[in-house]
Amino acid sequence: MSQQGTVFDIGYQGYTGKREGRGRARRAVFKDGFRAALGFGRGGRAKILPWFFIGLLCAIGSIMALVAGAAERLGGPGTAAKANLPSHVDFYGAASIILFVFAALVAPELLCRDRKEGTIHLYLVRPLTGSDYLAARWLAFLVVMVGAAWLPQWILFLGLAAGDPLPLAYVQKHWLDVPRFLLAGVAMAVYATTLALLTASFTVRRAYAAVFLVGLFTITAPFTAGLASEIKTQAGPWISMFNLTNIPVHVNDVIFGEFSMVTADAPARLFPAWGRVGWYLLWTLVPGAVLWWRYRRLTP
Amino acid sequence: MPAGQPLLTAERLGKRYGSVVALDDVSFTIADGITGILGENGAGKSTAIKIFMGLLKPTAGKATVLGEDASESLTVRGRLGYMPEHDCLPSQVSAAEFLTHMAEVSGLPPTTARTRAADTLRHTGLFEERYRAIGGYSTGMKQRVKLGQALVHDPSFVFLDEPTAGLDPLGREEMLDLVRKTHRDFGISVLFSSHLMADVERTCDRIIVLQGGRLVHSGEVEQFTKETETVFIEVDTNREALVAALERRGVLVTIDGAGLTLEGPDESVYDLVRDALVEVEAPLRRMGPRRRALTELFERGAA
Repeated sequence: MSQQGTVFDIGYQGYTGKREGRGRARRAVFKDGFRAALGFGRGGRAKILPWFFIGLLCAIGSIMALVAGAAERLGGPGTAAKANLPSHVDFYGAASIILFVFAALVAPELLCRDRKEGTIHLYLVRPLTGSDYLAARWLAFLVVMVGAAWLPQWILFLGLAAGDPLPLAYVQKHWLDVPRFLLAGVAMAVYATTLALLTASFTVRRAYAAVFLVGLFTITAPFTAGLASEIKTQAGPWISMFNLTNIPVHVNDVIFGEFSMVTADAPARLFPAWGRVGWYLLWTLVPGAVLWWRYRRLTP
Repeated sequence: MPAGQPLLTAERLGKRYGSVVALDDVSFTIADGITGILGENGAGKSTAIKIFMGLLKPTAGKATVLGEDASESLTVRGRLGYMPEHDCLPSQVSAAEFLTHMAEVSGLPPTTARTRAADTLRHTGLFEERYRAIGGYSTGMKQRVKLGQALVHDPSFVFLDEPTAGLDPLGREEMLDLVRKTHRDFGISVLFSSHLMADVERTCDRIIVLQGGRLVHSGEVEQFTKETETVFIEVDTNREALVAALERRGVLVTIDGAGLTLEGPDESVYDLVRDALVEVEAPLRRMGPRRRALTELFERGAA
């Protein structure tokens, strides 16, 4: 004879455990921002954009590694360097526009939707300030951007090592590229995250923010490059500095100690290293401060 | 909080937006139970709630909740729940995911947050639908999610801002049941804001009435009901004679369209009406209790 089970409804149970307060609240907003950026816990359509761009970046890294590897195998050791094939120093310059478009399309998801749907009101009545909310969202998207920047560089590094006839010797010779591309990736991610979230903070419509930012990056790049090459006076380097896609690439150049393929001909290269890094800091800290100011005293 | 202490206290509370006075010298206390805050649109209900939640700073006076000033203490907000009147739900995520997230944002550890989200959805009648995206929910279901997110972290006190807004009669009835259950079964005290007197009367133990930012009434609902109830009668003929007969008996009579609205000294008004009808031989067509309209109450309060 089978035993029969009995279901008891014990009714509502109060919570008597630990309340972790502000720290837990910040981590929860961070976690949610990270998941929202990558489309986790959302429908299939929410995953298309972020994973398409991450895939695209990885594809670029893979292709660079395959080409370099094939050159090394076919032409012998050192062929890739002799042929001046793109490598770690060139990756962020080549992929910067894709990283920025990725940021422009995905970052608004973290701020615009909460304001448009009114969910921000629920956050601000929790043990959380506007600054906490913003910091958690910023950090969440930064982590996604850092991942998107690093992943193809790792693929490239491992691909180059694997493509080299002497993989261990390659790693020993080029290990310094790893901290360099990690640091340059962070610089790229901080810049893209801050600008993209600042734009998103001005509108509740994600499409407006995305279109504005994509337009800003795609228009300023050829416009400033063309104008800077035409003007042969001292204004040329300054105009070149306003190429928004190149601002973090200049930092990348400083970190690697050489110019990437994208910035090698840019008049802005004439500025000293501290000038290019200072310009980057200006374009990161000022938008960051404006973004923080907008959320600091946010009330429903 | 020590037993018997008020959960919420407003001391000479005032809030101005430029020249607009949202709250003016309002003082009251709220104890354990369900308290209704009643007022027309713009009476200051939402402003009062936002001050208690620490979202707005008062321009005068002091508001404390659970013994603390919520604008200075983030910790106390972890013990408060808030269900706003307006839309506030993400459309893309499921109710289970959203409530788990909100429990964590309120300070609960992740494992507990998941368990409590499922429990809360069961108590609010959404357990079967918990994995559907909120964007596909009906208005009634969305109101339940809004209530659920306010309760998921087991607050000591919950603010419900117009919880029956936009609901059909059945949905409204179910929501009022949930509000009653929130205190009766969950032990959570409630401040229930509404502009519908019937909702407040059927749900609350105590009532606070605001008009134009000023406190008009504060006390037990039962007392308020007595003070605001009138008797409406309609007769076929002899209306003037009936009015005179009623006034002779001390009943305050107001001519109200085809009928009469009566305010008697107490519940004996029905006996007085009976005697007056017999005296003037007026054929009675209709008689019954009637509640004054909210606007009428406010006019009386202002007078």
